Amino acid sequence: MTRSRPVVAGIDAGGTMTDTILVDQSGEFTVGKAATTPQCEALGFLESAEEACHYRGIGLETMFRNVDVVLYSGTGMLNVLLSRTGRRLGLITTRGMEDMVLMGRGLQAWSGYSYSDRLHAVTHCHPEPLVSRLDTFGVTERIDHFGDVIIELYEHEVRDAVITLIDRRVEAICVCLLFAHVNPTHERRIAEIARAELKAHGSETDLYLSHDVRPVVREQSRLNSVLIEAYATGRGRQQLASIQDTAARHGFRHTVQTLQSFGGLTSIAHPHLHETMVSGPIGGILGAQYVGRLIGTDSLVVSDLGGTSFDMGIITRGQVRIEHEPVMGRFKLNLPMIAMDTIGAGAGMHLKVDPVTGKVSLGPDSAGSEPGPVCFDKGNLQPTVCDCDAILGRLNPEYFLGGKVRLNVELAHEAFRKRCAEPLGIDNVHDAAEGMLTMLESEASTALRRILSAQGIHPSEYALLSYGGSGPLHLGGYSRDIGFSDILTFKFAAAFSAFGCTTADYQKRFSRSVRLDVPLAGDEEEMSHVARRIDIVWNDLRRQAGNQMKADGHSANNVHCKPFLLMRFTGQLEDVEIASPIELVADSKGLETVVATFVDTYRKINRCVSTYGQAGVTIVELGVAASAAKIKPKLVRKQLGSPSPCQNTHKGQREVYFGGSWHSTDLWEMDGLQPGNEIGGPAVIEHPATTLVVHPGDQVFVDEWSILHYRHG
Amino acid sequence: MKGYDRKTIGDLLEGALPWQQTKQIMSSYKDDDRFLKALAAHQMRVPWKARILLPLGENLYIVLKEGQRVVRCSCGFVFGDASRNWKLGAVVLVRKTRQELEEIYPHADVCDGNWMELREFICPSCATLLEVEACAPGYPIVEDFRPDLDAFYSEWLGAPLEDASGEASPNEHGGSSLSQPPDRNT
Repeated sequence: MTRSRPVVAGIDAGGTMTDTILVDQSGEFTVGKAATTPQCEALGFLESAEEACHYRGIGLETMFRNVDVVLYSGTGMLNVLLSRTGRRLGLITTRGMEDMVLMGRGLQAWSGYSYSDRLHAVTHCHPEPLVSRLDTFGVTERIDHFGDVIIELYEHEVRDAVITLIDRRVEAICVCLLFAHVNPTHERRIAEIARAELKAHGSETDLYLSHDVRPVVREQSRLNSVLIEAYATGRGRQQLASIQDTAARHGFRHTVQTLQSFGGLTSIAHPHLHETMVSGPIGGILGAQYVGRLIGTDSLVVSDLGGTSFDMGIITRGQVRIEHEPVMGRFKLNLPMIAMDTIGAGAGMHLKVDPVTGKVSLGPDSAGSEPGPVCFDKGNLQPTVCDCDAILGRLNPEYFLGGKVRLNVELAHEAFRKRCAEPLGIDNVHDAAEGMLTMLESEASTALRRILSAQGIHPSEYALLSYGGSGPLHLGGYSRDIGFSDILTFKFAAAFSAFGCTTADYQKRFSRSVRLDVPLAGDEEEMSHVARRIDIVWNDLRRQAGNQMKADGHSANNVHCKPFLLMRFTGQLEDVEIASPIELVADSKGLETVVATFVDTYRKINRCVSTYGQAGVTIVELGVAASAAKIKPKLVRKQLGSPSPCQNTHKGQREVYFGGSWHSTDLWEMDGLQPGNEIGGPAVIEHPATTLVVHPGDQVFVDEWSILHYRHG
Repeated sequence: MKGYDRKTIGDLLEGALPWQQTKQIMSSYKDDDRFLKALAAHQMRVPWKARILLPLGENLYIVLKEGQRVVRCSCGFVFGDASRNWKLGAVVLVRKTRQELEEIYPHADVCDGNWMELREFICPSCATLLEVEACAPGYPIVEDFRPDLDAFYSEWLGAPLEDASGEASPNEHGGSSLSQPPDRNT
């Protein structure tokens, strides 16, 4: 088959697998998979790219020479943070605030815990601080919340602190002072003194300033942001550089791109690399947003079921929600990030039965890819959800990962009988295994219902999009009876996150904390004053954005700047981000337009009754999102053909266990399905990287975009 | 349920396991043989041979000594019969003046000695602090708990305790020995 050359290569290195997706101009995809190699990510990157090239029938060099964009999102920096293998840091802060690193935020003691552990305070424990208390020095100075200097900086204390830190051989010095985001004078002066001392001592220690990394309010999150930037990105940068070297060695001529947590692309030379730390999971949301726009479904609930977690996100009328203080590696950060909810539920999760109460639980630990589920036959004997799928005939033992792994169903059956069915007193192993699957699916279903009701969303207005290696396998179960308008999945579900990354545009966000009160019944002059102050900040940020985008190689004509604001009703604690409907506020009329947009958005999110207009409105952050378009994959629209699939696609029959009995089930090859095809359940549609299970009575329809629609009977 | 080896349980008791592993053990279901392995680990820590039946604290145990169930400190000191409050045989240090209490609680955290006193129970032989109770002055010595060892061994562990004559003790509740622990919910 002749295929046009790929133009975009997206690589998503997850916790266990590295996925590569090659996309050509006509929108055709090829997917490659390889195990992630945390020690040297370039190895996994190359192997997975090689596999994608192999499936496409081209050489690695040809691919790298031809693609315009190589997009890499990895887990290297997150691993540095989680395994605590980053740099040794020193910290200079306002005197009296030295214990900030030890005290942390209360919720950091249990963030990332399962619900039962959150309730058991005995398991709570603060994460080990990234900087030792002994390497933390307070210097006398004080700037108040208006930005006025209350106590001058005691420069001799700075000098002493820097010299001590040099003696202690720290690898980077961070500076985080109170209210540095309002007035950074003291932080800048500390930097000057530190640079002079470092030079005098011949030291090459790096310096990180909080107002530079993240100039926004809330010092604990700002401190965490600057510490993580200094701690983890050094090695992360090395990993990215090795990816760049590897790509260049094989003929790639441009800079490798990576994805920021709010969904924008940036080059790997991005100055604040911690903003790219968590990018894998959000790839799926970007992909869903893009696909939704193409096919005319702009309100979607996305669900990603992998080996360890079930991630959910919501897209309402094409817009995603941005979270401003996410938790990363158990630290609360100041960082815009696409909001996603996660529960611990995945196909690799260990199944456990409490010997005393007989209670069954899933996880929270997972078998990962090594040793993997029992049926992988690599030494694990604790059954997982995946083993139940194998026992019930839902997975093809000869075709797992395209036949790379042969599943030992007998071993899984024995382990499950011994460790789960017998302790539960259930004689029929298959009934017990089906019960386990129902448990996983109902946990996922409950989580979906919870986020829908928490946001006041009616499922009939939303389509559910399912992806992830195990998504299609359990889709029929977890989507049942919720009432979505449509249920979609893809042939490339297993690499959908990598696909999503390739749909992102180049984007950077610049923002600054402010505190501007807009009384609703304010006089004209006061309103105009606030409007002018907003415009001054926006213009300043636009200039900054223009310069950085230019430095990244984008021409001024291609860069679009969209201003945004974070606003709240005065006195409330939560902000709402709104995209400004106007480029500049200019006067009181413009300000009224902005406030009206805020009230409208606030009502959509929180319902009318919660508005609190009498209190007035406060603007807490002003920002500019600069973006430049990039070439994207296209989905190809084809004519709908016959409802019956081509007979070559039919792979035979297998006995599969559904609803307490064995059913003779048709097997289909997913790649062979054509637009218009309809398949009635019971059926199993197989792909090298995923399996779609169609329950008896249900139906799958392939639309003109080759998207699979699951319909419950 | 996955069991841990005796060394892991011993390290757990000593507080020598890394936090991640400790947390993982705490968050998992309790393994079937945890109690017996913990007993074995305790037994390794003490210099005497008498069989430990139940740990009461870091350095305090109910042991079977010459056919009698007695409370014993890890140093070997015997407080007497297990059915009697062992605290009555300990050396007691009562802290009730501000100065005495401030040795424990700093500054503003100190309590009012007229409302609460601290009683520290110390082994008369090795001077190890075995237990502390906080009570209103004049309140009788608290008996922390009096375990029903026979029911515990026969109904939960499925192995009835033998008395001095080598025969299984009669179950206090009249119940028979169970090979499986009963459901906690019932």
